[in-house]
Amino acid sequence: MQDRLHDIFINKNNNMNDIKKTKYINPYLGGVLLGLVLIVAYYVSGRGLGASGAIKSTTVTIVDKLAPEYTQKAVFYQDFKKTHPQPMKNWLVFEMLGVLVGGLISGAIAGRLKFKVEHSPKITSKRRLIFALMGGILFGYGSQLGRGCTSGSALSGMAVLSLGGFLSMAAIFGTAFALAYFFRKNWI
Amino acid sequence: MGPLIVNDIISQNTNFLLAFLIGVGFGFVLEASGFSSSRKLAGVFYGYDTVVLKVFFTAAITGMLGLLFMSLFGWIDLNFIYVNPTYVTSTLVGGVIMGAGFIMGGFCPGTSFCAASIGKIDAMVFIGGLFIGVLIFTEGYPFWETMFNANYLGSPKLNEIFGWSQGFLTFIIILVALAMFWVGEWAEKKFPQEEY
Amino acid sequence: MGRKEISPGRVLIKKNQDMQLKNINPRILLALFVIPLGIIIAAVPENTTKQYKLTAQELLDEVQAGYQYITTDEVAEKLVQKDPSIQLIDVRNSDDYETYHLPGAINIPLSDILSDEYVDILDQGMRLNIFYSNGTVHSNEAWMITRQLGYENNYVLQGGLNYWVETIMSPEKPAITSSNDEFAKYDFRKAAGSAIYGGSVEVTEPAEQSSPLPEVKKKTKKKGVQGGC
Repeated sequence: MQDRLHDIFINKNNNMNDIKKTKYINPYLGGVLLGLVLIVAYYVSGRGLGASGAIKSTTVTIVDKLAPEYTQKAVFYQDFKKTHPQPMKNWLVFEMLGVLVGGLISGAIAGRLKFKVEHSPKITSKRRLIFALMGGILFGYGSQLGRGCTSGSALSGMAVLSLGGFLSMAAIFGTAFALAYFFRKNWI
Repeated sequence: MGPLIVNDIISQNTNFLLAFLIGVGFGFVLEASGFSSSRKLAGVFYGYDTVVLKVFFTAAITGMLGLLFMSLFGWIDLNFIYVNPTYVTSTLVGGVIMGAGFIMGGFCPGTSFCAASIGKIDAMVFIGGLFIGVLIFTEGYPFWETMFNANYLGSPKLNEIFGWSQGFLTFIIILVALAMFWVGEWAEKKFPQEEY
Repeated sequence: MGRKEISPGRVLIKKNQDMQLKNINPRILLALFVIPLGIIIAAVPENTTKQYKLTAQELLDEVQAGYQYITTDEVAEKLVQKDPSIQLIDVRNSDDYETYHLPGAINIPLSDILSDEYVDILDQGMRLNIFYSNGTVHSNEAWMITRQLGYENNYVLQGGLNYWVETIMSPEKPAITSSNDEFAKYDFRKAAGSAIYGGSVEVTEPAEQSSPLPEVKKKTKKKGVQGGC
């Protein structure tokens, strides 16, 4: 009986050559749970999840603190401050703090807490980090331009059937698939 | 009657507290599903691990069904929830750039936070990159301001484009998603990868 | 009890000492669950009932505070200035409306107030609708009904048509002992009356209204959430 339940809910990541078994939950279950979190967010706050907005708030706050005379003149900062008088007191900022805690708890329960650079054995850590940085820069820029990232625009947008959400989804994943070939050395 | 904040059933501060708790749930589910691993995330693009596909689309259809059913029972008023606006140019261009960032970095902002919380250094570097990327955007804002605001269509829903009801579109998407899951499982068998 | 090599999601069931593989693939489970739900949600028509937007207590508070009133003087001023933001609505029956109605007023008899053709007029955020009737009973009734439906921007003409006739159309000259205020009001009303109804009369400066335009209620209007990334 134990085994049966164990097998349904824990999707063992093993194929023909199984070595280490990392215990992640079944992805379909994960999806349903994530959908429920999304529904709660809409029910309580009238909005879906998000991530890149918190980065934007933090960046604006930091720049403002470090160089206030500059932000007086810059268009973006002025517009932002008009609509967000208290940038850090923002739904997304609180949510992202929660994400950190939630991830930590889950990782702790599953015994996955460990400082490491995760990379394919075929490349070096350094290479992985360089690409992570470049990827981050592109994603940071793209998320501002696209007014949302995969969580905020694609996922939450799709849940409310927004056209923008679907376009976002298609663009992100379509491009990633298209470019996958060129970066295959990093992953497989 | 939801959304709670709109009907003043909860205060703004409670809203923020709940945002935190929702975030905890979000982070927990992401990490438990394996989204704290960049190699799992990138796997969908090479076929060896389609967890992204499964979780993402299952979450989307759960969300769609949940919201529509709640509206049916009168538990939530869908007119007051945020539907993100559609600016065609910036969404597509931004999406392409994000796609490139995804395949290079192996993360998206939400998952990078979740991975960073369990100690993944590549995730932390990714987050650093995010800040730089946002900074580039805000600094050079006047250059792309026009593109950013171009082609604003309001907040149309996809079902309106096809002339369908929301429920019907949801049904179609469910079928599409299930089809993709089957393809995904096939791909995983076809492109296996050693332990990662 | 040997363990067979299993692929994800398979379940082992022990049956008669033999190991049999039974497939309760999570995908199938999910599909069995979501497809019926999807069919239901596609088939059932959407919920378009308008909920009551105010609790009884809120309505009571508003009624007692008298937020819904707008005075005849204010309306007169707006008519003089040809302010396009107001819409007078006569809630009496059509015969009374035909006999006499205020300039620019439209007729929505109280009995028809719930009809679909008037929804756009009554439920909007741009113009101030001002219900009036002979007195204030029916116009208040109209206001209560529309307010309960959550419509904003509807008001009641204080004193109704009767008061309007008394004050604007044929204002009574105040007694000599009256205050300056009274005289100012009288002047204003006479001027407004002639401006609205024509005829040449000595027009003194219309009294400066001490109170500004009636505020669309201080209560925060319920609006959608701002979200976004």
